[in-house]
Amino acid sequence: MTERSAIRRIYEDHYKALMIIPFLILVLAMGQIAYQYSTTGEFLQRGVSLKGGISMTVPDAVADIASLEQHLVSVLPQGDFTVRSISSTQGVVVDASDVESAELISAVTEQLGTLSKEEYSIEQFGSSLGSSFFSQTLKAVLWAFIFMGVVVFFVFRNFGPSIGVILAAFSDIICTLAVVNLLGIKMSTAGIAAFLMLIGYSVDTDILLSTRVLKNKHGTVMSRIYSSMRTGLTMTFTTMTAVIIALVLSKSTTITEIMTILLIGLVFDIIMTYIQNVGILRLFVEKHHGKHH
Amino acid sequence: MASTTKKLLTNWRIILVIISLVLAAVAINPQFDTDGVAIRSIIKDSPAALSGIENPKERAAPTSLERIIAIDNQDVNSPEEYQSIISALDPNATVTIETDRGFYTIFTDPVLETEVIGEENQTVEEVVEVDQNGTMVNETVTFTKLVNITSSKVVGTADLGIRVSEVSATNLVKGLDLQGGTRVLLEPEEPLEQQDMDSLIENLKLRLNVFGLSDVIVRDAQDLDGNQFVLVEIAGANEEEVRELLAKQGKFEAQIGNQTVFRGGEDITYVCRSADCSGIDPNVGCGQSAQGFSCRFQFQISLSPEAAQRQADITSKYPLLTGDAGDSYLSEPLVLFLDNDEVDSLQIAADLRGRAVTDISISGSGAGASQELALEDTLVNMKRLQTILVTGSLPVKLNIVQTKNISPQLGDEFLNNAILLGLASILGVIVFVFIRYRKLSISLPMMFCMVSEVGLILGFAALFKWNLDLTAIAGIIIAVGTGVDDQIVITDEILEGDQGRSLSWREKIKRAFAIIMTAWGTTMVAMGPLLFAGAGLLRGFALTTMAGITFGVLITRPAFAKGVEIILNK
Repeated sequence: MTERSAIRRIYEDHYKALMIIPFLILVLAMGQIAYQYSTTGEFLQRGVSLKGGISMTVPDAVADIASLEQHLVSVLPQGDFTVRSISSTQGVVVDASDVESAELISAVTEQLGTLSKEEYSIEQFGSSLGSSFFSQTLKAVLWAFIFMGVVVFFVFRNFGPSIGVILAAFSDIICTLAVVNLLGIKMSTAGIAAFLMLIGYSVDTDILLSTRVLKNKHGTVMSRIYSSMRTGLTMTFTTMTAVIIALVLSKSTTITEIMTILLIGLVFDIIMTYIQNVGILRLFVEKHHGKHH
Repeated sequence: MASTTKKLLTNWRIILVIISLVLAAVAINPQFDTDGVAIRSIIKDSPAALSGIENPKERAAPTSLERIIAIDNQDVNSPEEYQSIISALDPNATVTIETDRGFYTIFTDPVLETEVIGEENQTVEEVVEVDQNGTMVNETVTFTKLVNITSSKVVGTADLGIRVSEVSATNLVKGLDLQGGTRVLLEPEEPLEQQDMDSLIENLKLRLNVFGLSDVIVRDAQDLDGNQFVLVEIAGANEEEVRELLAKQGKFEAQIGNQTVFRGGEDITYVCRSADCSGIDPNVGCGQSAQGFSCRFQFQISLSPEAAQRQADITSKYPLLTGDAGDSYLSEPLVLFLDNDEVDSLQIAADLRGRAVTDISISGSGAGASQELALEDTLVNMKRLQTILVTGSLPVKLNIVQTKNISPQLGDEFLNNAILLGLASILGVIVFVFIRYRKLSISLPMMFCMVSEVGLILGFAALFKWNLDLTAIAGIIIAVGTGVDDQIVITDEILEGDQGRSLSWREKIKRAFAIIMTAWGTTMVAMGPLLFAGAGLLRGFALTTMAGITFGVLITRPAFAKGVEIILNK
């Protein structure tokens, strides 16, 4: 019991110091992205759907990913390959650029055994479509942020809380992106859609928090924070349940990618909302209403 | 309990949910009897088409398709059964097809194999419409020419021309990911005005139909930068067949010595596609070549009188040469070009010089590693050339920018997986919610709301014939996950009111909805661009997400708030 109240004490009294954690994570994330940009020229890794190439999916194959990749590299040295499995036990997805689809199919069947047309699916992406989609969705992300900022400002009419919400959403996206990069996940069109979803979602929890803290008039600031935490964490955990179940059972790379990004984003959302945003809100409340409320 | 139920059922918000669900069910139109196989398309001029079976309309609702129940009194219940019954049919016989709309009698066609067994002189009559001097006459000219004697034997029964699939249990249109097929995204080389784009799309549809594919979707698409695209989706088709057909602009020209004699389109009035005047060239057949085997095809076409006259004029200018076998030919050949690539070169017989002949035989070839493959390739090449000659050339060249090919079996697997995911996620969330609130009076309404939201999204999708692909399914799962969140917000606002706040019920709900509306706004804005970005390929995801949260905000969540109010007796 004393441990729990010790944690509570730290959370309640040392909130300013605690804010170092999310900001540190944010700085590290931005560092990762900057590093990525300086070494590869892009701040994320683009999959074949965004830069051109072929994607071949064999959902029921059980194969050793490493040896398949080795085989492909040795047979088709000019190609750039990413081989991954769909779920932990089965399924193979090969993304390749600079190879022909016929070459890829024969190289893969050499390793996995003959495949009938019913056992795999193939998608080919022209590079120009991918890059234009990429730049368009980046713009979409930007607009989503701006609109969100406007709406939030409109609702709270004050700089402080609006910054809190926007910063939390921003940090959420940046940190998720950094982890995605570190995990070596290559972005596809579906992945970008997942990021857009994430913006909407993380804003949800932050708005809930800020609305309750600022607009409710009863109880103390801390009690209001705790009550929104209870609601917010329930929300996040229910969504996580849906996402984790889908992630575990999925046989499709599209769904797996979307759910992975959402899961990572949800975890960061908890940190950003309840440490970073809370900290900013409390600073704001202090400034405006004095320390004892 | 009884009065609560009554209060629930008479509240307008809850009635609204129930009515919407009924409408959704009507739109989805679930079928419980899925016997037989559904007719997806009838190939033009096939034995089936001639018996009167109607080709379904392009965007027909899946549950409205005509179904084959029995063939010659044998029950048919799956595409595999259909194939095995069809392959056992006799040629030149009648077959009785029973569908849910009536009976049809089909006369089967034989598949012939032709062999050359000799040569003889034959007196042939030909009708000439325009003579050497350019006057229009209609006379019958008799002359003798050497023809090959062929003998044909029946080797099998030709396909009836019906493409079937499993009967659809609902009206939900499955996207490519879930039913298998080919999708090709094309970009025109030059920008097109809307009416040119419309005629381009019509031409592409016609090309695909003439080729024999009628379960096709062709539409134009744009992305956020204003680039134009053409999206072609064909259920159950093979990517190879389609790529060639779509990407070729189809400029067909026949030239003699760099002068154009006739072009594809207007100049050609008739292209034979039936077995009596098209097929493997009986004079040549198949033979071995450097890389395996090659075969030649031929088919008859008819030229317009103007084109025939042009041919007469041009050929009359050239001298004749005598060949090895003593027969004379024009000094220049007739060269056939498709999109500026030479496809064939024909010698023009002496007796055609200066004569406006309207019937011409076009030939070409195909190759393969074995005789069977060569035969297949040859027939496909012939079909393509015939299609292009029938439909004419496209107004502009198209480049393929993306293709996707999924087999139907794989599509089925993904579909089953998607259903599993959906149900498992809903179940997981319900369990979690129950653990958190421990009251059935909260969890049951929440579950009812979640399921209603899924039902409404699917109903909407069925009504507007959205393509439900894997990203759309992801969108549904997410919409449900976040829908529950809003219900949690409402529930918590309500429950904490038990701690004696001074606010009225209305205020609490209002506040909960303020939060919900803001979230709604940001998600709508975030999803908006996805409707158009990248030629709308993520449209399914954007639509299901946007529909889900909108229905939630307008219909199910207010009903939930009211429902909980009534149940908790406030």
